[in-house]
Amino acid sequence: MPAELLLRASNLSYAVGKRVILDGISFELKRAQITTVIGPNGAGKTTLTNIVSGLINNFEGEIERAPELRIGYLPQKVYVNTLMPLSVLPLLRLTQNSSDQEIEHALAQTGVSYLKQRQVRSLSEGELKRVLLARTTLGQPDLIVLDEPTAGVDVSGEIRMYELIGELRTELQCGVLLVSHDLHLVMSKTDQVLCLNQHLCCSGQPESVSQHPEYLALFGQQAADSIAIYAHHHDHEHDVDGGHAGHQHD
Amino acid sequence: MLTVVTRGTSMTEWLDDFLVRSVIAGLIMVAIAAPMGCLMVWQRLAFLSDTLGHAAVMGVGLGLLLEVTPVFGVLAVALLIVFSLNRVDSFNSALSETTLAIISHTGLAGGIILVGLLPAQSVNLEAILFGDLLATTSADLVRLLITTLVLLLLLLHHWRSFVAVSVSREIAQAEGIEVRKVQFLMYIMIALLVAVMMKVMGVLLIAAMLVIPTTSARLFSRSPEQMVAVSALYGLGALAGGISSSFQFDWQTGPAIVVCATLLMLVTLAITRIFKSHLD
Repeated sequence: MPAELLLRASNLSYAVGKRVILDGISFELKRAQITTVIGPNGAGKTTLTNIVSGLINNFEGEIERAPELRIGYLPQKVYVNTLMPLSVLPLLRLTQNSSDQEIEHALAQTGVSYLKQRQVRSLSEGELKRVLLARTTLGQPDLIVLDEPTAGVDVSGEIRMYELIGELRTELQCGVLLVSHDLHLVMSKTDQVLCLNQHLCCSGQPESVSQHPEYLALFGQQAADSIAIYAHHHDHEHDVDGGHAGHQHD
Repeated sequence: MLTVVTRGTSMTEWLDDFLVRSVIAGLIMVAIAAPMGCLMVWQRLAFLSDTLGHAAVMGVGLGLLLEVTPVFGVLAVALLIVFSLNRVDSFNSALSETTLAIISHTGLAGGIILVGLLPAQSVNLEAILFGDLLATTSADLVRLLITTLVLLLLLLHHWRSFVAVSVSREIAQAEGIEVRKVQFLMYIMIALLVAVMMKVMGVLLIAAMLVIPTTSARLFSRSPEQMVAVSALYGLGALAGGISSSFQFDWQTGPAIVVCATLLMLVTLAITRIFKSHLD
């Protein structure tokens, strides 16, 4: 069964003054698929997520969204004001009215139910990330857009975070657009990779992208090898665990 | 004093009493200073109110020179500053300490020169600088009330956006709130607030009334709205203490209110410290 199309971008370009940030990008996002955007600093990754989320509208090209597409967006750097008294529950209700059940469920999904009465300023970086991730799943989004969701989290936290994103995809049956620097950690969970450097260098399944000449030129053979190793490691773990369904890349 | 109050039967007669007028003015000020002060503390904007306050002296001077009510001169200058700050490409860099300090002190210096040019009996510089709550006129009261109602309505209507922008610009932006517009609205509201608070607190002490009760409230508040409510209580305490000590010891009212607010804050700080060390 072909996955439901959520969003199709055709020939997106975006420039600030004379500086070209995105140049002729086309891709599709589908339900229950994880699409990872990789690329060097300044490649236009955050601009792309802003366009997809509808925060930038003066681009060239075309974006078709599925009717009534709901998007949950977690921006790259979220500073939460520590001068304010605010506990986790009101943080989740900041801009939308969600029921108690919805909020409890969202927090449970990201494994942080125990934080709901805590003051936001007392959370660790990793706890805050999970709370914010729970926030993006409120209101039953069809697509969640996560811009480097693991920045500031330690390596074991990162691995758990990516596992969590995989679980959310399965449970919510939503599309995921993920920007990441941690190629080797993300690749095994990903259905589609967009390798971005202003233009779309290459795209496709992780294995094919990691052998693409433009990818190798950007990230080098070592990165490609480490992906292969992690992919293998991950497959192995899967056989033993078996708890997480639906990550096969065929 | 009280006999005057009870003798009056109609509202207007009642308002004839200067003490009644000043208490009402003080209460109105407390009501608006609490929510505005909280927002300003959260967004680190206390210095902006200081700047607008200092530059307001220029507005007073201009107002007197052009023979309009000084409040309107102040409002014009404050709005001019806010609008020109907003024209700068990056608003945040426009709000840098240096820029604000230059505007603040130039406004104060220019204003003092202007005021000095006016005939001595037409200006009470001390009242401009430190406020003169006890000299509140009925016209002052009406202006204060109308402005406060406008500000409160704006606050109620936009409270969620204001809080969201205060909590996290990034989250607010990601969810489609136009952060820059919301902030600009807040700056205009601060300009309005400064213009009306000037009469009560004086240009030098406005920021104190926005920051000190709020800081006390922050010591033990658990939610933004609770912090606003508790700030209002602290404001009330400072107002009561200020007015009575002003009568008792013949202190100037504005400075007396500020000193009371600080005393309340120190007491709260001490209590929360003791409470915490008992918990440990």
